Amino acid sequence: MTYNRIKLEVVDRIAQVGFGLNSKKSMTTLDKETLEEFDRLVKELKTIADKREIDGVIFHSLIPGVFLAGADIDLISTLKSETEAQKGAEVGQTIYSNIEDLPVPTVACVDGVCLGGGLEMALSCTNIIASNSSKTMLGLPEVKLGFIPGFGGTYRLPRKVGLPTSLDMILTGKTLNSRKAKKVGLVAAAFPPERLLVQAPNFFKNQQRVKSGKEKLEDILTDNMVAKKLIFQKARESVLKKTKGVYHAPLKILDVMENNLGKSRPAYLKAESQAFGELCVGVQSQNLQHIFFLNEGAKKYSGPKGEGKNIDLKRGAVLGAGTMGGGIAWLMATQGMFPLMKDITSDALELGLKQSSANFSQLVKRRKMTFDQFEKKQRSIRPTMNFDGFKTVDLVIEAIVENMEIKKSVLKELEDNLAADAVITSNTSSLSIQEMCSDLTDSSRFAGLHFFNPVNRMPLVEIITHDKVSPEVVEALYRWVVKCKKVPVVVGDGPGFLVNRILMPFLNEAAYLLNEGVSIEDLDEAATNFGMPMGPCRLMDEVGLDVAAKVADIMFKGLGKRMTPADLSGKMMEHGFLGRKNSKGFYLYDSHGKESGINSNCVSLLPKRNSRMDEREMQLRLFLPMINEAATILDDKIVTDAGKVDLGLIMGLGFPPFRGGLLRYADSEGLTLILKEIKRLAGSADAERFRPAEYLVKLVDEGRNFYQS
Amino acid sequence: MELGEVYLVSGKRTPHAKAGLDLADVAAPFLGTYLLTYLLDSHAIPASAIDEVIIGNIGAPAKYANVSRVIALEAGLDESVSAYTVHRNCASGMEAMSQAFLKIACGRADLIMAGGVESMTQMPLMFGKDMTDLFMNIMKAKKVPDKLKALKAFRPGHLAPVIAIEQGLTDPFEGINMGQTAELIARELGITREEQDLYANNSHHKAAAAMESGRMAEEILPITVGKKLSKILANDVGPRNNSTIEGLAKLKPFFEKKSGTVTVGNSCPITDGGSLFLMASAEAVKKHNLEPIARMVDFHFNGLSPARMGMGPLVAMDGLFKRSGFTLDQMDKVEINEAFAAQILGVKKGFTDKKVADAYKVDKLWGELPDEKLNVSGGAIALGHPVGSSGSRIVLTLAHNLMQSKQKYGIASLCIGGGQGGAVIIENLVK
Repeated sequence: MTYNRIKLEVVDRIAQVGFGLNSKKSMTTLDKETLEEFDRLVKELKTIADKREIDGVIFHSLIPGVFLAGADIDLISTLKSETEAQKGAEVGQTIYSNIEDLPVPTVACVDGVCLGGGLEMALSCTNIIASNSSKTMLGLPEVKLGFIPGFGGTYRLPRKVGLPTSLDMILTGKTLNSRKAKKVGLVAAAFPPERLLVQAPNFFKNQQRVKSGKEKLEDILTDNMVAKKLIFQKARESVLKKTKGVYHAPLKILDVMENNLGKSRPAYLKAESQAFGELCVGVQSQNLQHIFFLNEGAKKYSGPKGEGKNIDLKRGAVLGAGTMGGGIAWLMATQGMFPLMKDITSDALELGLKQSSANFSQLVKRRKMTFDQFEKKQRSIRPTMNFDGFKTVDLVIEAIVENMEIKKSVLKELEDNLAADAVITSNTSSLSIQEMCSDLTDSSRFAGLHFFNPVNRMPLVEIITHDKVSPEVVEALYRWVVKCKKVPVVVGDGPGFLVNRILMPFLNEAAYLLNEGVSIEDLDEAATNFGMPMGPCRLMDEVGLDVAAKVADIMFKGLGKRMTPADLSGKMMEHGFLGRKNSKGFYLYDSHGKESGINSNCVSLLPKRNSRMDEREMQLRLFLPMINEAATILDDKIVTDAGKVDLGLIMGLGFPPFRGGLLRYADSEGLTLILKEIKRLAGSADAERFRPAEYLVKLVDEGRNFYQS
Repeated sequence: MELGEVYLVSGKRTPHAKAGLDLADVAAPFLGTYLLTYLLDSHAIPASAIDEVIIGNIGAPAKYANVSRVIALEAGLDESVSAYTVHRNCASGMEAMSQAFLKIACGRADLIMAGGVESMTQMPLMFGKDMTDLFMNIMKAKKVPDKLKALKAFRPGHLAPVIAIEQGLTDPFEGINMGQTAELIARELGITREEQDLYANNSHHKAAAAMESGRMAEEILPITVGKKLSKILANDVGPRNNSTIEGLAKLKPFFEKKSGTVTVGNSCPITDGGSLFLMASAEAVKKHNLEPIARMVDFHFNGLSPARMGMGPLVAMDGLFKRSGFTLDQMDKVEINEAFAAQILGVKKGFTDKKVADAYKVDKLWGELPDEKLNVSGGAIALGHPVGSSGSRIVLTLAHNLMQSKQKYGIASLCIGGGQGGAVIIENLVK
């Protein structure tokens, strides 16, 4: 038989099955064609094995660095009904069961990415051996997309690595490198990639791993019904704690694994495929898949192309060594850009070094980095008070004080000290990019590059364009952001750009609600129950009341009455409540920065009457102005489409992923309803803040929604 | 063979700090990497254009064998760039520059990074021979009883460490330490305690003045320090503007406790630091549009009695004057490394006192070396002496002093443990 996607050859009575044949993609996945071939191929293996023509089968990849990245998500996303999805899972389950049932031993030689359906395939082999390459990672990340591993992964993984480890892997979707995979018994051995095929036949025998005393003890302790019940209970508690119970998939996975423990293979697999069908066409999984596609889509630059050649941003510099400057220098150092960090005093520079050092220390603590690596990277940042060496820089990110006049004069001075083709950017969070570069000789090489705080944790970077910026510069910045493993969104110039412009009505409305007598706790809880990582009060503490007030003012000046600031942050600042930065905001913080309860002095600034408000009503008050503003943003062409808004808010603000994004949430609620509620609140709360956006009205009139516009 | 001109494009050094202080956590390579990156950056020279990196270093940190190669790679130089470490005791940095000089002058190289680094703090404590023998015997023993037998030979005294730095500062030939060689010169040439203390006190005040005026800062590149690498050290830790002769007079002689004259106050402290030059051929200067601060005219090394190594500068400068045709008079500035005040005063004597010159086989009296020419920014007594680096550090200081006074020629020289002297003449090119 001939195959187009999988290579089969028999060498010295050993069948070698190679994935990634004729593949043009960087990641080999199990798409429709491959699955069909795989099914045929495994049947052929059975035939030749029955004829005693082979002594064993080795599965490997023809593409270095990728074994199998799992089932094709495009394929999964086309599944329409529960039954269809369940059938889809059964196709894979059958192939893998056939591998497991082959009369000859099988070994999976894993070099590189081995995820989801890829790992489930490997698990159906007698043994897995892995390459010790840094690219090798094994895991079942399905839960992150809101469904259950559907090709027998939940059945076979516990048998390989025990219940506690498998639950940890399946419920968090985390991946293991070859060293860890060896440690937990997932792989039998690790070798340099070039040695895998030669070594594989040595693993045809199912070797009994010699277990350590500790492991034997663990086995005894966990291998009984009472212990297992306890393990499931603990796992469930941990899931509920981490997700507040809003995510369906982990809970469903737990159900499947617990209820079918010890059942026969067909019975177990049936339950697994049923759960797969149920979850993967569910709203949550659809939303998570939606984000996955948004995210994948963002990895490629799709904006206008220039005529000029590609600009390579190799060497970096940052102006201003504050929290953001230090964070950006850290990012550049991790990318081997030997960043220069300039500020006007040595003390200021030390602040930046401290920030970068703190970011690295987290990596050292989590053993993602050795101390030696930290020292080299941290030392690759050169603090300086002059422009020496700036001529070698390709990318400068300005992160100095948010003051237009100062920024303009600093950028002018900078321009004179740079090579002619260096790209200049500003990390401003709210000042006009257009105006900022008006004095530059060559403003075509200037753009906004807005990072979110803290730089090492927040994935979003807004790339802000203006009239004169060259497409080459935008593309170079886009590629650079992707290379830094961040998520870029290209946005037009305008007050607050994308994320802060949508955030501000949320924070502002929160302040109005507090002034109406809603309590801090109720308000924050309403937001977190909706799925936000933190409520508006806590968020204002993080941002700093002074910063929030300043941005609110800029928005008000730029966007008019609907952004009229609530009279609260001023009062807070008068009393010296600036938020986490001085340990006093809506909440109090101890010397370690840990929250220690509500700031009762702040409560006394708020109205005495405690008006309880329905949680749904509070959520509408908080989120409808965001949706309304997002509609205006689309109308103003700040971003090209609704997907960019949703990606921006999820990556920059932590908007709950299971809701698929702000506008997808609005679409799912129905825009007619959204508009109706906005109009209602215009009457009951405030006519300006809830004045329906023209664009929203238009969409409703035309019977469209955000994603169909 | 015709030799080409050799230019010092520019140089920088780390701030100096007494061993165990601010630079204690900085391993030797990191005293050099950032200097190299800086020199490359500030002249916008591509990382692949450098032909070679030559670094002087004595401590040879076990973790970073061939520290020069480590510096080259860490600083981001191309992997193809050759790098090696040289060791000529206290003149290692000068040896690095001298080798670069030869390679550039004869046309084998166009751009070389040359200098020295030394972390005297991180020089190791070692097990003594008894203990190492014991380890060897235990390792050789195959069976447990043999191992136990070998272990029986252990005595607590075996644990006493051998201090690498102490051994390094002891002459392997004469068995006396460097301080004792200074005492010998002081005795033989009749140099008094008061003269030495006066000299040392001046060194501190000159260095402090150079620091306060901001003059010193021009040769220094601030370095990231501290356990968390979040502090910046921009100035030397050492020069004391409140130093007094009275204060110095109170110190007890360190090397000859009873009758000696050499104290820790009139000797240089053990110090961490590094210094680096970008050196270039005329062709490279043209090609990369460089504006060199100086031209390296020539160098010379000369040996003498190891027990009187402090007089090394006398024989080295004598040799270099004769080789190059220059005279002491023509030197606008003179930089002599201050290992010990006694030794510097001895060298000065050798220029004017025929008996002293004769004793060191120097057949020409080069004349008075006036104070206003000598070590105008202070010297190692105040600034410290990071041994691998001092040889290039004094050339850097000399170049900057000539630049500031807009003068032309200068000579830098230093004594070398083991009984040698080294010297370099440069011509200032900054008008």
